[in-house]
Amino acid sequence: MNATEQIVAKARELLESGTVECVIGYERATDGVNARPLFVYQAEEAGKLIFDQTCAHNLAKYLLNRKGKATAIVAKPCDVRAVNLLINEHQVERDKVLIIGVVCPGMVETKWGRVSEKLRQACELCREHTPVVYDFLVGEPGDEEAAVEYPDVARMEALSIEERRAFWEEQFSRCIRCYACRQACPGCYCSECFAERLDPLWVGIRIAPSESWIWNTMRAFHLAGRCIGCNQCERVCPMNIPLSLLNRKLEKETLELFGYRAGVDAETPAPFATFRKDEKLEVGE
Amino acid sequence: MSDYISRADLLSWLEKVSQSRDLVAPVKIEDLTLFQKVERVEDIVFDPGNTDLSPKEFFFPKSEVLFYVDRSDGRVELVPAEVEQETVIFGIRPCDAKGIAVLDLPYLEEPADALYRQHREKTTLVGLSCVSACPECFCTSMGTTPDDASNVDIMLTEVEEGFIVQVVTEKGKALLPEGLLSSKEVSPPAAPSVASVPSEGIAEKMHQVFDSPYWDRLADRCLHCNVCSYVCPTCYCFDVRDLRSGGRVERVRSWESCQSPGFTKIAGGYDPRAAKGPRLRQRFAHKLLYFVEKFGVTHCVGCGRCVRSCPVNIDIREVIQDVQGLGVKSEA
Repeated sequence: MNATEQIVAKARELLESGTVECVIGYERATDGVNARPLFVYQAEEAGKLIFDQTCAHNLAKYLLNRKGKATAIVAKPCDVRAVNLLINEHQVERDKVLIIGVVCPGMVETKWGRVSEKLRQACELCREHTPVVYDFLVGEPGDEEAAVEYPDVARMEALSIEERRAFWEEQFSRCIRCYACRQACPGCYCSECFAERLDPLWVGIRIAPSESWIWNTMRAFHLAGRCIGCNQCERVCPMNIPLSLLNRKLEKETLELFGYRAGVDAETPAPFATFRKDEKLEVGE
Repeated sequence: MSDYISRADLLSWLEKVSQSRDLVAPVKIEDLTLFQKVERVEDIVFDPGNTDLSPKEFFFPKSEVLFYVDRSDGRVELVPAEVEQETVIFGIRPCDAKGIAVLDLPYLEEPADALYRQHREKTTLVGLSCVSACPECFCTSMGTTPDDASNVDIMLTEVEEGFIVQVVTEKGKALLPEGLLSSKEVSPPAAPSVASVPSEGIAEKMHQVFDSPYWDRLADRCLHCNVCSYVCPTCYCFDVRDLRSGGRVERVRSWESCQSPGFTKIAGGYDPRAAKGPRLRQRFAHKLLYFVEKFGVTHCVGCGRCVRSCPVNIDIREVIQDVQGLGVKSEA
């Protein structure tokens, strides 16, 4: 059976047996070639489910809308790390989530009505093809994964501070503050985002370079040591701002300083959520 | 015989226009096509297809100062902002021009929005009719057509080597110098055929399905970002704040969206549309029902931008189709 057939069969079984109330997966979008999220509540609707290289959405975000309800989720390796992040941060209960893990071939670049054969940059750089945890696995687990590399971050680091500033100023100048990056991010779930707080006021409502600069940098920093690299922020950005580059820089720093990558398991305390007296990291000595 | 202008003459005329006014036209910014102030007329994009953002921001800017507080000489005075610059928008498509006509309804209804009216008065629209249709477009189902000249000041239609010119308004006529146009034996290409959606009677159907569980199911996958509203040529909601800026206090308005968390939150913290279903329904109910009831036209021009840009494929064409189906069932 191919991935789609396995997912359909599993979803049908889980819904028929009443193991879960809902299976979150993918179906074909209205352009006929892309995928979109699908919530399946009835076993007879399971046949709509698909899986292919256009299923780039991270569905873990939707678990936040189904707290306490038994839910199965179709999850690629990065999505599974998002589930781990949400369990680690006490947002989701492990025993309410049934993970239909998928061995990931990498997602391809798509536009409305068009699908390319080129892997997304995030997928090109990704070394994790088998989910770190699952209840049911679709596909054959691969060999041991290679070490993570950050060639894109290294390219940015090679620029001078002035060049980097100019680069980001130009990128952020396009931001329309639609918050699609935040809404798609599994790590962004504050009941009131700093960007909407009035007291204290962190950032004004202007859709202008000064405010966009604050919004985009604070968004990235709030994900330091938490970003699981699913690249949703960048995928959904209507203005093509390379947001994940900021997140990957922070991911690289966190890995170097703490040997930590978010979502690899659901237990290890996150570096910015722990305090160890002996931990000085040679900062500010 | 048609009024005609060659491509070369058009560009040199636009060059002259840009010397005395802001010339705004579609240009490429990385992978995006956006309406922007043009630095070089050679940068103007004539390709078919809609820009990534609509040109509404030249009438309803993303952010705009409404007035500022002047506290000099021991007095406190509210100084209203004024639009001084004359602007020409070139290359606006019929759907977007219709979008501006739709924005006129709430913004020019008395008491008119002062800044919107000034932007409108100081802007001339030079349209470009569509000789091909995008797969996501459905303008003919939303009260306009690919060659609709009724909402622009001048309409151009691309033919070989140049453009057929229709001067629609006095404002348009004033922009064209004597002798710029020539007469040519050329007829416009046939308007492209545009996919249709069953929009007939949609307002009534929206009434019938208001309480349908359909909205909760549709909202399951909605991320409640503001992309649909911000790419939309007709969405016109905003938020207002007083801000301190450069030593003075300004009242600023910025785009807002009914999909945004907290959009309807009121004093005391209550949010009548906190749930996902009602929040998403609001977008479609406003477009297909409330606006129709108040102004007599749908609040959608079929440009297809939200269809193309939604990160989770919430497709207004499909919603209209679904709602028509639901309505039939509820009558049975």
